[in-house]
Amino acid sequence: MNWGFIITNAITLACIYGTLAIGISVTWSSLGLINMAYGFIFALSGYGAWLASVYIAPNPAVVMVAGILTGAAGGLIVCLLAFIPIHDKPNFQLRALIATLAISLVGNQILLWWFGPRAKSLPRLFGNWNADIFGIVVTSDKLGASLSAIVLLTMILLWMRSSRRGLEIRAMMMNPHAASIVGIGVRRTGIYVMALTGSLAGLASVLLAQTYYVAPFSGITPMIKGLSIALVGGLGSIPGAIIGAIMLGVNEALTSSLLGGQYVLITQFLLIIIVLLIRPRGISGILDKAREA
Amino acid sequence: MTDSSAPIWIDPIDSQFPEKPGREAVTNSFLSHQVTWDETTRFTPKMYPVGRLRYYYKWPGHGGRLWSRLRYWPTRRRVLNIHGDYNLKTMRREKTIVDKRPIWWALALAALFTMPLFVPEGFRNTVMSAASVFAIYAAINLCWMLIVGTAGIFSLATYAVVGAAAYGATYLAIMLGLPWWVLPFAGTLIGLVFGVMIALPAMRLDGFYYALLTLGVVELCRVFVVQSRQLGSATGGLYGAPSYLPDGLSQSNRLLFSYYASVLLMIFALFIYRFIDGKRLGRLLRMAQEKKEGFAQACGVDFIRARIMVFLASSAALGFIGGFYAIHFGGASPNLFSFDTLLLSLAMLVIGGIGRAEGAVLGTLIVVFIDRVLIDLGPLRYVLIGTIMLSVALFLRGGLFGIKDQFRTWRDKKKSERRATRAEKGGEMLPEEATEMEDKDQVYFRRFDKMQRDFLKRLVSDAVIAEHQSRPLGQHSEALERLLIYFRRQGQIDKYAILVLEEFKAYRIVALSGHRGTAPRVVEDRNYETPDQAYHALFLRRVQDLLET
Repeated sequence: MNWGFIITNAITLACIYGTLAIGISVTWSSLGLINMAYGFIFALSGYGAWLASVYIAPNPAVVMVAGILTGAAGGLIVCLLAFIPIHDKPNFQLRALIATLAISLVGNQILLWWFGPRAKSLPRLFGNWNADIFGIVVTSDKLGASLSAIVLLTMILLWMRSSRRGLEIRAMMMNPHAASIVGIGVRRTGIYVMALTGSLAGLASVLLAQTYYVAPFSGITPMIKGLSIALVGGLGSIPGAIIGAIMLGVNEALTSSLLGGQYVLITQFLLIIIVLLIRPRGISGILDKAREA
Repeated sequence: MTDSSAPIWIDPIDSQFPEKPGREAVTNSFLSHQVTWDETTRFTPKMYPVGRLRYYYKWPGHGGRLWSRLRYWPTRRRVLNIHGDYNLKTMRREKTIVDKRPIWWALALAALFTMPLFVPEGFRNTVMSAASVFAIYAAINLCWMLIVGTAGIFSLATYAVVGAAAYGATYLAIMLGLPWWVLPFAGTLIGLVFGVMIALPAMRLDGFYYALLTLGVVELCRVFVVQSRQLGSATGGLYGAPSYLPDGLSQSNRLLFSYYASVLLMIFALFIYRFIDGKRLGRLLRMAQEKKEGFAQACGVDFIRARIMVFLASSAALGFIGGFYAIHFGGASPNLFSFDTLLLSLAMLVIGGIGRAEGAVLGTLIVVFIDRVLIDLGPLRYVLIGTIMLSVALFLRGGLFGIKDQFRTWRDKKKSERRATRAEKGGEMLPEEATEMEDKDQVYFRRFDKMQRDFLKRLVSDAVIAEHQSRPLGQHSEALERLLIYFRRQGQIDKYAILVLEEFKAYRIVALSGHRGTAPRVVEDRNYETPDQAYHALFLRRVQDLLET
C-alpha cells in the first residue's frame, strides 16, 4: 500500500475535477443554466490546444493558452445559442438544459466529422521528471497539473472577489432578480460567466489530456464527474465544490488502488447517493428550495 | 352665386339697405362639421377573415340525431366528444367535434398497420427494421413521458431501467434456459426492483438534482456493463436470448412479424399511458403541478405517493419493454446506456412536446427516421437531429404539438396590442390618464374638443384670413364665424386680449393670467396703431396656436 501515491493521485484528481465542478456550479448559480455542453467545450478546447501544438508550437504555455482561449470561445457559443435567446422565456431551465444537450450532440458530431474518431495526444506539458517531496515521489505531470490548477483557480477566485465584474457575477449568484434591478446586465454577465467557465473547462481539458486524450467524445466522462462533484458539494457553492472534489478525488484514488479501477464509478455514486440522501442540497447547499428564476 | 372653387359670401346685414350693393368676400366652400366625426369614428384597421368569429358553416346537426352517440361498450364513455351548438352568426344548428385526437390516432394506427404494403422493395429491409425500432422506442418513450410529463420527475435513467431489464432477462434466459414468453415478465420484475432502487432518492431530491443523479446512474450502468465479463464485455453485449419468432419463416416474413409484434408493444404502452395519465393518478398529479405542490398537499392530495406510484408502474412497464427488447434483438448491448442514446431519446421527447402521448410517438418517428433511414448522411444526421432539437428548445414552448397553442397565444397578444393602439386614437386623453381623471365629463369634453379643433383647422384658409383682415368685427362668413366663436369661447387662462396703451394710437397684445390680482403678461414687443390691426394680429396668433395643437 503506497499511501503517498494515493494522496498525490487524490490531490491531482481533486484539483482537476474541482476546476470542472466550479465551472458548472458557477454557471448554475449565476445563470440558472445547467451547462450540459460542458463536455463539448472540454473536447473542443482539447482540439484547440492540439491544433496550437501542431501548427504554432508544442510549447506548454502556448498549448495551455490555446486550450483556455478555445474553451472561452466554446462558452461564448453556448451562451449565445442557449442562454441569451431564451433566458427570459417561460420554462427557461428545462429548455436551456435541452438546448445545451442539443449543442453537445451537434458539437460532438461535428468534431467527429471534422477530426475523425482517432484520439490525438498533446505533448507532455510539464516535462518528464520526478520530484521528491517529504519522501513521496511525485511525477512532473501530477505536480504541474495540480499546481497550475490551484494557481489559476486561486487567480480566478481572487478576481471574483476583488474586481467589478466578479462583484457582478457574485451578485447574480446571490439573487439574479435583485442584481438585474440594481443595474447588472443579465446578458452581459452571462457572457462573462460563460467565457470564464468555458476557460475553466479548457484548462481542465489541457490538464487532463494525459488521461483522457483529445477525442470527440472525451468530454462526457469528465463532465459527468464534474456534475456529480458540483451536486455533492451543493450546486452554486464554491467551497462545497472544493470539498466535494477532495472527497471524490480521495474516493477515486482509494477505490482504484484498493478495489480496482472498474469499481470507481460504483463507489463514487454510492457515496453521492448517501451524501444526497443525508443532505438533499449537497454538502454546503443550505438553500431550502432550488434556485428559482 | 355659383358653386365654384372660391365661393363669394354676401353680408346678409346689407339686405336691409337694398339701395346699396351688398358687401362681398371670398370665402371657403362649405364643409360639413360632420366630416371630422365620420373620419374619427370610422373603423380603419384592416381586417382579415380569420379569428374566432364563426361566420362560416361547420357541420350540420339535427338536435335529435345529436343524441345517438357511439359509445364504448359497456361504459357510457363516448368515442368522439361531439358538441352541439348554434352558430352565433347564422343561428343554424351545428355540430363540432371537440376533441379530434381519436380520429387522428385511428388514422395513424391504420397507417402503421398498412405501412408494410407501401414500402418500396429496395428499402424494405432498412425501413421495416427501422419501423420495429421506432415502435419499441416509442413504447419506451411513452413510459418515459409518464415519468417526466405526468409524474414530473425528471429522470434520465429510463434507458438504464430498460437496459437493466434486458440484460437481466437475457442473463436469466442463458442461465436458466427460460422460454421466450417468460422474459418480458422477468423483465417486469427486474424493472420494478430497479425502479424501487432509483425511486428512493426521488423522494428526497427534486428537479435537476435528481436529473443529474440519474445521469450518473446511467453512466454507472454503462461502465459496469462494459467492464463486467459475465455481461459480455468481450462480445460487445450479452446475446443468446430466445427469439419469439416462429421457426421456418422467410426473411421478409420475419421482419413483418417482428414489426407487428413491436407495434402491438407500442399499443400496449399507449394503453398504459392512457390508463395512468387519464385516470385517477394522472388527475391527482395534474393538480399538483410544478410550484403548486403545496396547494395540492393542502387539499389532501398525496402527490409524492402518486408520483412514486406512477414511477414504479412505468418502471415495471419499462422492464416489460426491456424483456421484449431482449427477445426482439436476441440480447442487450451496452449501447442502451450510452450518452448518445440518452440524447437521442431526449430529442424524441422534446421534439414532440413533453406531456403528450402523441408528442412522444411523433418525436420518435422523426428521430428514428433520420437516424435509421437516412443512414447515408453519416454523422451529419446527428447534427440534423441536434439542430431540430435546438430549434425546438429555442423557439417552441411545448414541442411540435404545442405550436397550435403557442400560435394562438401569440395571435391573442398581437390582437390586444392592436386593440390598445386603436383605443388610444379617438380620445385626447390616454387611457391611463382617463382612469385617473375624477370628472369623466372631461374625458368626453377633451375628445369632442379634439374633434372640433381638427375640423376648425380645415377651415383656416387665406380667404378667411383676408376676410378677417378686411373687417375684424361685424358679420362674417360661416367659416370665419365658427373660428371666432371657438376662439371667444376659450377659458380665461392665457387668453389673448388687447391692451390700450393710448387710445387710437397704441395697442398691444397681452395674455390674461386668469387669476384675480395677477397682471396679464406681455406677449410681444410690438405696438399696433389701430384697433383693427390689433384685432387681426390677435386673430392670427390664435389661428397659429390652433394650427400648432
